[in-house]
Amino acid sequence: MQPTTTRPSPAVAAKKIPGEEGVWIFILGDVCVFAVFFTYYLVQRSKHVDLFDLSQSALNKNFGAVNTVLLLISSLLVVLAVRAMRGAEQTVAQRLIVGAFLCGVAFIIVKVFEYSERIAAQQIPTTNGFFLLYFVLTGLHLFHLIIGLGVLTALFFLARKADLSEHQWAFFEGGACFWHMVDLLWLVLFPLIFLVR
Amino acid sequence: MTALLRTPATAVWVVLITATGVSWTLGIQHGTHDHKLASVIILLIAFIKVRLVGMYFMELREAPNVLRGLFEAYCLIVCTLLVTVFLWL
Amino acid sequence: MAKRIELDSGLAKAAVWSGIALIVAMIVAQGFLMHFIPPPSPALSAKELAQRFIDRRDEIRLGCLIQCIFWSFWATWCMAITIFIRKMERGWPILTYSSIALQGGGYVFFILIPMTWGVIAFRPDTLDPAVMQIMNDWVWFDFLFTWPPFALWMAVIGLAIIKDHNVPTLYPRWVAYLNFWCAILIFPAGLIVFFRDGLFAYNGIGAFWIPFAIFFGWMIAMSVLTLQAIDRQKTRQSENELVMASV
Repeated sequence: MQPTTTRPSPAVAAKKIPGEEGVWIFILGDVCVFAVFFTYYLVQRSKHVDLFDLSQSALNKNFGAVNTVLLLISSLLVVLAVRAMRGAEQTVAQRLIVGAFLCGVAFIIVKVFEYSERIAAQQIPTTNGFFLLYFVLTGLHLFHLIIGLGVLTALFFLARKADLSEHQWAFFEGGACFWHMVDLLWLVLFPLIFLVR
Repeated sequence: MTALLRTPATAVWVVLITATGVSWTLGIQHGTHDHKLASVIILLIAFIKVRLVGMYFMELREAPNVLRGLFEAYCLIVCTLLVTVFLWL
Repeated sequence: MAKRIELDSGLAKAAVWSGIALIVAMIVAQGFLMHFIPPPSPALSAKELAQRFIDRRDEIRLGCLIQCIFWSFWATWCMAITIFIRKMERGWPILTYSSIALQGGGYVFFILIPMTWGVIAFRPDTLDPAVMQIMNDWVWFDFLFTWPPFALWMAVIGLAIIKDHNVPTLYPRWVAYLNFWCAILIFPAGLIVFFRDGLFAYNGIGAFWIPFAIFFGWMIAMSVLTLQAIDRQKTRQSENELVMASV
């Protein structure tokens, strides 16, 4: 009689790369570029502390905080959308993605008000070093957010398919991670530029 | 829908919102006292939030150690770098 | 039996190497000969700028002749990648045709650079310095401000790789994300219109050095990756021949 071999029980979930490797080249690369910009911002600030602190006081912190909350809500909706897709609840997933998209649009609307306020107060990128970095950093983030809206749109259409291939799942999860990255970058940007002094 | 919400990520989200409120409160204080301590706390909170988003939203908790390690290292290094530049330059 | 359409690996590799030649020529001609890497500062006065053209007029003229030749290889280099895009997409070749259209503008933008400098260096003594300054500004805008079609093509490459139906894919999937990332990163070149000095002036770190390094780094990376893809295709083709012969 053959001795039975005991198989290891699959109680420990196998480690899995969210999305696929390529996504992380992109995300880690991008956050590193932003880290360089964050550092550059603080270095520039150290050379003109009073100018930066004074200019910062002109910013609308409330708009910034609202934007943070909007992105956090949208990220949660994306997390739930991925969970819904895994549970084959496609319609729910699509609705959640639309919700996240709308939060992103709301962010842009708030940003338009924010920028309008600055421009009306004669605070533009060429006013001084602080406002240059303010507009460039928030602008670069906004650019990523707009791309993120495109990614969410792609996820919306992908969610329609009943059976996703391995590559399509990878893109779905990867796209979700891209959106979380947009959120994550603002989580540093807002305190750094608006609050730290 | 409630079944979807029953995941650690939701609790993390509540923490993130709360932390945002704390940072905002610290950030909008007006006063003649030195704001440096508040700013350092704000930066630390920011990177704790970043780490939570990575671990729970991006699901890096379940990722291979190399990837998770890179992300954790990023949070640690960038946070340290920014706090250092802020305090000592 | 249907005739198999095969990749001529010799020609394809030559096309890739033409791109490497382009980069080398740029460094030699634009950098060492003309002293235009990095760009002269937009904050220079018209007279100071004119002097640079007067002082190095012969080097600039020769460099321009060389550059008009080597920038042409942008077209051939792009095609090495485009034939792969054609094989990656199924059905009606929208990504392939978009690629060709986006690249076609590329060598025009590039050749206008040495052509314009050539015109400036043609009569630098008698040309009004203010006119020379406008023409030189124009060249740098032509070099940097025209980033969008290039970024768009990078995105098209990324998209083609993501949608590649071949098993295994012709390029590794992570190359798609590399292309998406590079597409985003060359965007700061668009900021040169707002600044005459500092980080985002056309000689600045943010608007010149970073997009420049990313763009030509991307060209080198894609060259290596395409050479590898050509080798893999060659192996696949000779394996198929062996199978056919043994039938």
